[in-house]
Amino acid sequence: MISTLILLFGLINLVMSITGRIKGLITLLSIQGFILFLIIIFSHDISLDLNFLFLIFETLVIKTIVIPSLLKIILFENNIFRETEPYIPNFYSLVISSIMLFTGIILMPFYLGVSISTILISLFFITTKKKLLTNVIGFAMLENGIFLFSLSVAEEMPVIVNMGILLDVFIAIFILGLLVKKINTVFNDSNTCALCNLKDCGCDD
Amino acid sequence: MTDAMSIIQDYFVIDSVNILFLLILAVIFTGVTIYNSSFIKTLDLNNNDRIKYSIATVLFVLSMLGTILSNHLGLSWVFIEATTLASAYLIYFQKTKNSLEAAWKYVFICSIGISLAFVGIILLLTGAEGINSLFYNDLYSHADMIDPFWLKLSFVFILTGFGTKIGLAPVHTWLPDAHSEAPSPISALLSAILLNSAFLVLLRYHKLMNLSGLSDFANTLLLVMGILSVFVTAVFVFNINNYKRMLAYSSIENMGIAAIGLAIGGIGTYVAMFQLFGHSLIKAAFFLTAGNVLNLYGTKKISKISGIIKKDKLTGWLWVLCFVGISGLPPSPLFFSKFLLLKELFARDQIIFAIVFLVLLVIILYGIGKVVIKMSFGEPPESDIEVKIHKTMYVPQLVFLIVAATVGIYIPDFFLNLLNNAVIGCR
Repeated sequence: MISTLILLFGLINLVMSITGRIKGLITLLSIQGFILFLIIIFSHDISLDLNFLFLIFETLVIKTIVIPSLLKIILFENNIFRETEPYIPNFYSLVISSIMLFTGIILMPFYLGVSISTILISLFFITTKKKLLTNVIGFAMLENGIFLFSLSVAEEMPVIVNMGILLDVFIAIFILGLLVKKINTVFNDSNTCALCNLKDCGCDD
Repeated sequence: MTDAMSIIQDYFVIDSVNILFLLILAVIFTGVTIYNSSFIKTLDLNNNDRIKYSIATVLFVLSMLGTILSNHLGLSWVFIEATTLASAYLIYFQKTKNSLEAAWKYVFICSIGISLAFVGIILLLTGAEGINSLFYNDLYSHADMIDPFWLKLSFVFILTGFGTKIGLAPVHTWLPDAHSEAPSPISALLSAILLNSAFLVLLRYHKLMNLSGLSDFANTLLLVMGILSVFVTAVFVFNINNYKRMLAYSSIENMGIAAIGLAIGGIGTYVAMFQLFGHSLIKAAFFLTAGNVLNLYGTKKISKISGIIKKDKLTGWLWVLCFVGISGLPPSPLFFSKFLLLKELFARDQIIFAIVFLVLLVIILYGIGKVVIKMSFGEPPESDIEVKIHKTMYVPQLVFLIVAATVGIYIPDFFLNLLNNAVIGCR
């Protein structure tokens, strides 16, 4: 059961790498969070232990509901719906991501393979997309991969999982930054291309 | 109560290595605070913003203090994360389009770096089954129990992650933007303390690699990143039109030299320590003086600035002296560290490497020298704005430079002991 869930988690990465609609990406992110929740339910004994409750809260509330809904709010406020022109065509993204996922699964134990390849795929995702919002989604995806990975040492060092949750603070910062709409009002078009003012050249800088 | 105290004593310690970094933090922050007291008046802020600026600065320094003092890899990681959060607001402080861009890049790149460092910590734990502790002392004493495969893999992630914060190429890209857009005292703090405190975490992890007998692997990676940092600086500094970016690139170079020193080992570790110390003092002075220049001319463009010495004598000479310090001409302490590094390279028959290193240093010296001479001498451009600079905006730089020059000429016994102990603690 757990293996199926983890495989599903990995396959969602592939779907994400070809999804153009940002709304779809956010839904997929939320599904990933829910799968993490299911993995925890099936792999841990259900108890009222503080750590366990913390994991449940993190996956079910924050990863499945809070972050995706905040992202959706930004989406509607800014009227950006599509990642129009990624640096690499979606088909090639799919091929590269699949290679990453399957190499990971073949080379490493299943659990580690999926989580490490999720981390790599999300880094690839971030570098190939242009919109700031899709970059943030990529970061949230990276976060999910790391969370899955940290579950492998959760038995021995639960504190490490709790530490990883601090990474969510960053997502919150990005979301807040976008929410306050500063980025959007300052840069009319929220592409990363708008963030190219600071660079090195002999010319007017 | 005693329980809480003992927990704090477990997690925060002062040992032979971090005492040097603590000293640097104390000296630099004192100077920057004195500078800030006048600098903040030049920004034309309302009371609310001043309070925010001060609180964010203190939080930023507090998080760096935590990184330096912590005796636990996880805690160091948390504090490094905190430095990003605290300083992001300060970088965005001037609320211009460029500062927003710099802050966004800074937070985004550094948080990905931090995430990768976290993956490194998990990989370490995967390989260190049975240790279940991230205290450096526990890791050191069980270093032979850690599976070398996982440790190597984790070092790659840790080096990328903390290397992002240190500003080693090729993951340095946030650094020139952030340093050039932040207010000058904050740039000084970023460059002189933040990079050091991230370097300290790397030093501690490097010791673990040494103890597990994987130092060759770690040193190769460090050497590659170090020389790449010097190379990147040489390329970009050559034709640059923003003097704060130039200083930021120079920080990348100096961190690269420290990384090379650490990688070479032996006397190289001594070089790294000395380099970090000298760079902090001189670069802090340089950035603070850059604040004065920005005040006088109101632009960061090199092409629009000339004749600083005629316009404001003291700032002009400070600018030149800082250049003498940073370029490693005697009596700068950086002369010592670069000289010792080259000597060590020659002693080990790494002639080609030494020559490449020397050529890159000369290119950087030429690049920065050209800019500094162009800015300092000649006639200042016509302007009717008279800017008075308060004397507390000169004193800290002077003190930093005097301390640096003193150490460059004569190393007092207590400082020599401090350095020696730090070097021993790194092995």
